[in-house]
Amino acid sequence: MKIRTALVASTAVFLAGAASAETMKIGITQNNVGVDSYQTTYEKAFIAAAEANADVEAVVLDAGGDVARQIAQMEDLIQQEVDAIIIWPTNGEAVIPAVRKAHQAGIPVIVTNSNIAEAGFDFVKSFSGPDNITQGARSAEIMCDKFKEMGIENEAQVVHITGQPGYTTAIERAKGFEDRLPEVCPNVTVVDTQPGDWNREKSQQVMEAFLVKYDDIDGVYAGDDNMGVGALNAAKAAGREGIIFVGATNFAVGYEAMGAGEYWGSIYQSPVDDAEAALKTAIDVLEGKDVPFLNYFDTPKITQDNMGDFTKPVF
Amino acid sequence: MATLTKQKIGGILARQGILIAFAIFMIAFTLASAKFLSVDNVFSVVRSSAILGVMALGVTFVVISGNLDLSVGSMMSFSTIVVLDLHDKIGPALAIPAMFAMTLCLGAIIGFLVGYLRLNSLIVTLGMLSAIHGLTLTYSGGQNMDIADKEGTWFSVFGQGSALGIPVPILIFVGLAAFLGVVLARTPFGRKVYAVGGNGTAATFSGIRRARIVFQCYLISSACVATAGLIQASRSLGSQNTVGQGLELEVLAAVILGGASLLGGSGTIFKTVIGVLILGFIQNGLLLLGLQFYVQFVVTWVIIILAVWLDIAAKRGKLLSPIA
Repeated sequence: MKIRTALVASTAVFLAGAASAETMKIGITQNNVGVDSYQTTYEKAFIAAAEANADVEAVVLDAGGDVARQIAQMEDLIQQEVDAIIIWPTNGEAVIPAVRKAHQAGIPVIVTNSNIAEAGFDFVKSFSGPDNITQGARSAEIMCDKFKEMGIENEAQVVHITGQPGYTTAIERAKGFEDRLPEVCPNVTVVDTQPGDWNREKSQQVMEAFLVKYDDIDGVYAGDDNMGVGALNAAKAAGREGIIFVGATNFAVGYEAMGAGEYWGSIYQSPVDDAEAALKTAIDVLEGKDVPFLNYFDTPKITQDNMGDFTKPVF
Repeated sequence: MATLTKQKIGGILARQGILIAFAIFMIAFTLASAKFLSVDNVFSVVRSSAILGVMALGVTFVVISGNLDLSVGSMMSFSTIVVLDLHDKIGPALAIPAMFAMTLCLGAIIGFLVGYLRLNSLIVTLGMLSAIHGLTLTYSGGQNMDIADKEGTWFSVFGQGSALGIPVPILIFVGLAAFLGVVLARTPFGRKVYAVGGNGTAATFSGIRRARIVFQCYLISSACVATAGLIQASRSLGSQNTVGQGLELEVLAAVILGGASLLGGSGTIFKTVIGVLILGFIQNGLLLLGLQFYVQFVVTWVIIILAVWLDIAAKRGKLLSPIA
């Protein structure tokens, strides 16, 4: 009885919304809120942005990292006849059937943060998120510029610590970095690449092995600041100085290490921007605006030189 | 005469199969990479193995008593997050005992469920793996934990300090291994642990309170986990919520690699230490060789299975021994 009342009520809201073309009901199913600070902050920012907009009614769900639960949540949102669905995929392949179902029900789907596999692109209106290839390329530029400033752009040796093997973000950042570095600094060599699995402790161990193996390391590129700081800790413990550390996704620890002059630079990616961009993309789609399929939000370079322009990340 | 010598050699091989396997890998890696056996590298491997190693010491007790502990990975994340959080709130001197108390409570819950309610340890600790992960996330709100003043705290001594030129994590690992080794091999309690895992019914008839022994084994395991969490927290002075994720399997691999039987009743602390070192040196050796990391997963496990086989073959005195 209660369920039916709720359904009737929500349908009523929906009809009212459609009639006045004012209220947009937007559902979101997130990947795994609470597993890291980025996702926790993202959810808060999304709810805040939705509440600030009187025309938006948001249904906020979280899959807890579970593909099956996310698919069930997609079906719930289709049943509730929301106007648009935003999905942060738990798995780029497995969610495609559910995304197709929403598409067939006439509900536009927006993918946020990490894209789904290409087989599902036909069923998606837009992808809103960071451009990880550009992020990797920008990290290469940050590192190369610093080497030029130091006058070692012709002999510098770099080691590369990647994210979790097989993870799209890790692959794209690594590709961006390794493609761009030889373009801007053709004489810099990447001597070794190993995964740090987005894990600070793992990255510290990898860096310890690198320090034993190579007597001369001038730069370290890590797929995110968490791993970058792990590598920095290893270098500090071994008393190796003068290494240029560049990361991505600026974390609070990375920002602090930059402030202390130990860590050179990173890429500033705000979960608040990420969440707001996803909501804005959904609203633009519903208002019939022309939205590019790959709708990236900007993730600028941050180094010791310009860090004053950015607030310290909350995660 | 000749047969006697053969028997003698056979006897030595049977007892030390895993040591021989260890020696073979060390020689192979040393030949392949000049830096493998350098003092710096050996210290760095043993130091990073210390966290896994300390956990493996406790799990050895649980496994010998005939049970499993799959919760140690997420329990270690819990200890790490708790001690880092409390460090800034109540100071390190209080944060450390508070964290130990909380972690021991988790161990007591598991020990109670397995020992006194006689629930299957696989199910209980698998359940606790998720439950403790959830507890950690609830506690931290999903945020990373970081100590605010990283330079000015003496808390870093457990993970980064050194005494007489030896890193403190190694000293803790070796000290704890020596202590628990004596407890297991030389005390009535240790003999009861073997008895409970080897033949529970016989143990009961000998007047051993099995539930109590099992309960105590889980307490030891959680105390080891808390120690590992302390080293981990002190080493990086900051942590994600998932820092121990997946470690339960590596810990179990090290214990089994050391020759403890999953059926209970056998295993020693010394061999667990060898198992831990084999795992640590394999991972480090493959990294120094510069093997592509996708290949490393495969090679690591091929080597582990090879080592287990060498150990078993030495015990049985033959290379092939088909089922029945």
